[in-house]
Amino acid sequence: MRRIFPILSLNFKNFLKTPGAIILMFVMPVVFSWIFGGMSMNSERNKPVVNIVAGSDEISEQISKLLKKDQNFNWEMAALKKARENVLEEKVLAVVVIPKDIEKRITGNLALFDVIIQKKSQDYLALAAYLQGTARLVSNSYQAADSLEAGAFPHFLAAVAKQKGVTVEKQTIENDSANHVEINLMVVGFAIMFMMFGLSGAASTILEERRGGTWSRLLISPARKFEIIIGYLSSYFLMGWIQFAVLLVAMKFMFGADWGKLSYLVPFASLVILMVVGFGLMVAGIVQTKQQAMALNAILIVSTCMLGGVYWPLDIVPEVMQKIALGVPQSWAMSGFKEIMSGSLHTGVLIKDTLALLGFTILFYVIGLRGIKFD
Amino acid sequence: MTVCDLRKSFGQFEAVKGVSFTLNKGESFGLLGPNGAGKSTTINMITGLFKPTSGSIVLKGIDVVKTPKQAQKWIGVVPQEIALYQEMSARENLKFWGRLYNLSGMELNKKVDEVLEIIGLTDRAKDKVETFSGGMKRRVNIGAAILHNPELLIMDEPTVGIDPQSRNHILETVKRLNEEGMTIIYTSHYMEEVEYLCERIGIIDHGEVIAIGTLKELREKIEDRSRMKLTIDGAKAHSNKISAVLAKSFSEKEFQIQDNQLTVFQKEPQLVLGELVSSVTETGARITSVDIIEPNLESVFLHLTGRNLRD
Repeated sequence: MRRIFPILSLNFKNFLKTPGAIILMFVMPVVFSWIFGGMSMNSERNKPVVNIVAGSDEISEQISKLLKKDQNFNWEMAALKKARENVLEEKVLAVVVIPKDIEKRITGNLALFDVIIQKKSQDYLALAAYLQGTARLVSNSYQAADSLEAGAFPHFLAAVAKQKGVTVEKQTIENDSANHVEINLMVVGFAIMFMMFGLSGAASTILEERRGGTWSRLLISPARKFEIIIGYLSSYFLMGWIQFAVLLVAMKFMFGADWGKLSYLVPFASLVILMVVGFGLMVAGIVQTKQQAMALNAILIVSTCMLGGVYWPLDIVPEVMQKIALGVPQSWAMSGFKEIMSGSLHTGVLIKDTLALLGFTILFYVIGLRGIKFD
Repeated sequence: MTVCDLRKSFGQFEAVKGVSFTLNKGESFGLLGPNGAGKSTTINMITGLFKPTSGSIVLKGIDVVKTPKQAQKWIGVVPQEIALYQEMSARENLKFWGRLYNLSGMELNKKVDEVLEIIGLTDRAKDKVETFSGGMKRRVNIGAAILHNPELLIMDEPTVGIDPQSRNHILETVKRLNEEGMTIIYTSHYMEEVEYLCERIGIIDHGEVIAIGTLKELREKIEDRSRMKLTIDGAKAHSNKISAVLAKSFSEKEFQIQDNQLTVFQKEPQLVLGELVSSVTETGARITSVDIIEPNLESVFLHLTGRNLRD
């Protein structure tokens, strides 16, 4: 067993001496995550602004609060004159005016809000739909309050604004955390992809060693086959974990990313890294030269990452593609990470992801170890 | 070490067909054979890299076939390739290979220093192997094999493609190691190296040992003869006359005239030199030089394995 460490340390040192591997394993994922993560964060900050023009009465205040519940827009209070200027200067998407005679409008079946816009953009269509929904909610609240004592409407509205319809509140909460999870998942996706490239490249050094003679020399040393292979694989595993840890820490500092419970994240990430190492071993086992390994890695990694939801969420692809995705390990890895990061941990889903990944891992190691020539 | 009826097949092809030989402690043994003769396969079986199809190898009482890892502790192998990590220094390489043979700490450092001294690379110990010349790399290749003081050192063409100085250094090193008691198996295509280093020689061809013994024994076995080459002025013009005169004393197989050269094949050519000179001068031709060429390992090798080209 003591011969494992020299082999592990040799591979690890050699890896650290290879600038290409460092760039691929550490620099690229951090840079990619920084660029794309940053873009996503900016898109958060650049939400369209909507001005609200409202009176100081209680009903207007409660309706304003109700409107502000939608976090797809940045709601800002403004005076009518300033709001108009903002629209003209295209500083805001729209102005929503809450009229003082809103009760009359409800009873008269008239439009509840006055909306000032310059053009009907895509964002406006989303806003219009939301305004219609809010108007219905206000109108229904008025009718419900009408049966109660006089002056009950603003209080009723306040209660609605506070608790609101379950649907609206849930949607709002999910939107908020979902955005963070999406960014985190994107970072994890980059980590998996670059780890696959990095570790598969590292695993294919076995092919070079076979050609160069050091592999044979290892085999005729007193080191046993399992010591040699564990030495190699554990060095790749260690590299994978360092890469993952660097990325987790970098994203935490850059974007304040939340990675969920470490007690779940660490073992699951370990399994994913083990799977990636197994993938590299499998490729090294089925080809003859490093060049062949590089070509096969490129094809397999890019295509399976596409299928497995590494580049984009699987929710946006057709159902048939979602079914196909089940055949690649990345989809299970991404699903597991999503589950851990979302905070709303469903153990059943995570167990399913873990078992599927375990299956892929075992398969990769069996193929890889059978293919690696020990003489 | 005893190698007994060793066989190895790759599919239908039988690469080694019952190789047997014994090696005494401290002996230096040359294993020769044309390309594809089966010597590398034999060596790979002795080192434990290949499992024989049948047969046995016993080293120091250890069954190499059944327990190769036990035997490998006593074996040092210098492969034909430069089996080193090029991006690491000579010292780092030696330390790595030493660790695999259970050397560590002070003992390892001491051994590495000793070996660097032996291979003459103490002053370049910290340099990366990739910056070394071919000869220096070959010396590190040997160093990595002798770190753990093996009882048996197997060297597979250790001097391929290097300058005469490095080659000489390597040969001297091997000779010294052998004199210090290390048993050596040496393969090379350079016959003079084997002649210089090895007490006994085994010639292997088509997977079989076709001859084994000291160089003297091998010469006797094939009844090889020395060659006496006489350079003659006007040999072509007088060839008929010379042939007629020589035919009185020598058989047709014992001499040959080609261009201006007369070659005579005799076990002890010195004994017939006087007679030969007077016979040739009788014809009016003039002898300008005489060379006696003793049979060497190369002629024995070619005699046994033939002159046909191999793959």
